[in-house]
Amino acid sequence: MNSQGGISKAGGGGSSATATSSWVSPTSVSTSGKRIQREMTELNMDPPPDCSAGPKGDNLYHWISTVIGPPGTPYQGGIFFLDLMFPSDYPFKPPTFILQVVFKTRIYHCNVDSAGNLSLDILKDSWSPALTITKVLLAIRSIFTHPDPYNPLVPSIAHLYLADRAKHDELAAEWTLRFAK
Amino acid sequence: MVSEEQKESPRVRMQSNPVDNSQNMENLFSPRFKSVAAMAGWDEESILFASLIVEDTPERQFRHKKRSDLHFKTPPSTNTRRKRRDQKKSPISIPVPILNLEEEEELVMKESEKKKTETRIAVDEESKLGGDKLAKDNPDASCSNSALPCMDKLREELSCAICLEICFEPSTTSCGHSFCKKCLRSAADKCGKKCPKCRQLIGNSRSCTVNTVLWNTIQLLFPQEVEAKMASGRKNQKEHRSSERKTNNDLGSRNVRPSRASYRDTTSVQPSRVPNRGAIINRGMLRQDDPSTRVSNRDASTSRDMWNQDEEDTPLVQRLRRREALERLILSREATGRRRRGIPSQDEDTALALRLQREEFMEAFGGTQEQSGISLSSARANLRVMASRAAISIHSRGRPI
Repeated sequence: MNSQGGISKAGGGGSSATATSSWVSPTSVSTSGKRIQREMTELNMDPPPDCSAGPKGDNLYHWISTVIGPPGTPYQGGIFFLDLMFPSDYPFKPPTFILQVVFKTRIYHCNVDSAGNLSLDILKDSWSPALTITKVLLAIRSIFTHPDPYNPLVPSIAHLYLADRAKHDELAAEWTLRFAK
Repeated sequence: MVSEEQKESPRVRMQSNPVDNSQNMENLFSPRFKSVAAMAGWDEESILFASLIVEDTPERQFRHKKRSDLHFKTPPSTNTRRKRRDQKKSPISIPVPILNLEEEEELVMKESEKKKTETRIAVDEESKLGGDKLAKDNPDASCSNSALPCMDKLREELSCAICLEICFEPSTTSCGHSFCKKCLRSAADKCGKKCPKCRQLIGNSRSCTVNTVLWNTIQLLFPQEVEAKMASGRKNQKEHRSSERKTNNDLGSRNVRPSRASYRDTTSVQPSRVPNRGAIINRGMLRQDDPSTRVSNRDASTSRDMWNQDEEDTPLVQRLRRREALERLILSREATGRRRRGIPSQDEDTALALRLQREEFMEAFGGTQEQSGISLSSARANLRVMASRAAISIHSRGRPI
């Protein structure tokens, strides 16, 4: 369980490094850049519900995205910012999503650790080049409604989720109110 | 089409005797010519337009030369002048004044008007050639409103899930999902041998083949996208393979090299490989190829001719080589055709002649132009070929002009 968290952190750090270095490489711009650009236009034309994403600045490989806590969940009303890094060999390698924790948008969720890493299978081993940012955002939105306590990043939250759902929801709502509003 | 007809009709009445106009239509063209026209997918109306253009063009130019030399300082080398004119004029936004053909003074105006209609026809022909009903939607061209309402869905459906663009040389997995050959190969290399769509195990990625039917369909439906991708591919190839260019020529290395080189292979040697392809497909492919080769030929700054990019050649040598390739292509076609049927069919010969002539026109009309201008001028060249034939048949019948 702990090892998984370690892997995800390492993966996140590694690919963000490649993402920054890739910006200079002309070959990656031609393939991955084209695809990212296309995804951007598609996102603008048909954005998924309660989500948004776009480049942070000039760098096409570094996006920022927001996910609004879905109604009916303890995360309701919260706005969660995520940093999104594309590797240079995107879409053959998954992008990395890191919840921004610097601006107090912490979240009480068993699949998000204190550093903001997400444990989402499609962002790791189950990644497929046919997946797009839109689909990943929808998946992120779905772990708000249905946390996966069996593959947790924060085991204590997962334990509480399984043992005392009401208490977990109460805490999560409190955190949302405190950090994400 | 309707507006064109309205515009066209007064001239029709003016130029030929109004009485026998309709009958002329029947005996204006030889059956042989008609068969060629049918093969080219031209309807009678457009042929009639073409014949009209031929009917009056030479005489008018002659008259102009005598009457007003200030308008045309250059000798009537019609090709270049026409093209320059057409370049200036956008073929799409054409005002439609009623022509007053009686006034001799307005001849100049008429002439320019005629050019406009000609380009109009060319636009029309272009869309017709581009796969009939499947023609690309061209919302601006008033006459070709054959845009399919499901074009967007088709685009989505024929897109590669990996690069999100129109599939280039699609390859279909055993589970039935199609991707660009190159994308699928990279996916198998970098993400394991699973289908990107359904995660089913896919077989040996080395043996992925192009889904020919799908690929041809895509080429017919989205010629522009395919063309753009081919152009960029050629550029990439030029950049990345500059060191191994010399070996590119022999067939062995061509077969080994998967992506771009194989496309070049299929275009240049294609008929001998797939001899009995439908005429439409062949024409479609040629049509897509021709502008590109011309662009690259003239636009030496961006990319070079795809047949000759291996060596530094002078334009003359390039042209010679192109001619050679063309002749080889035709010969191989003819040979396979004869072998198959025993007797050379007349239709096939005429089609070949037409294509040869088209190729020559392509060369004669070459110049640096925008992408749209190229397709237009190629269509115009076709039109002129047809028109010149019509002229011959008219002359042989001794019709007064």
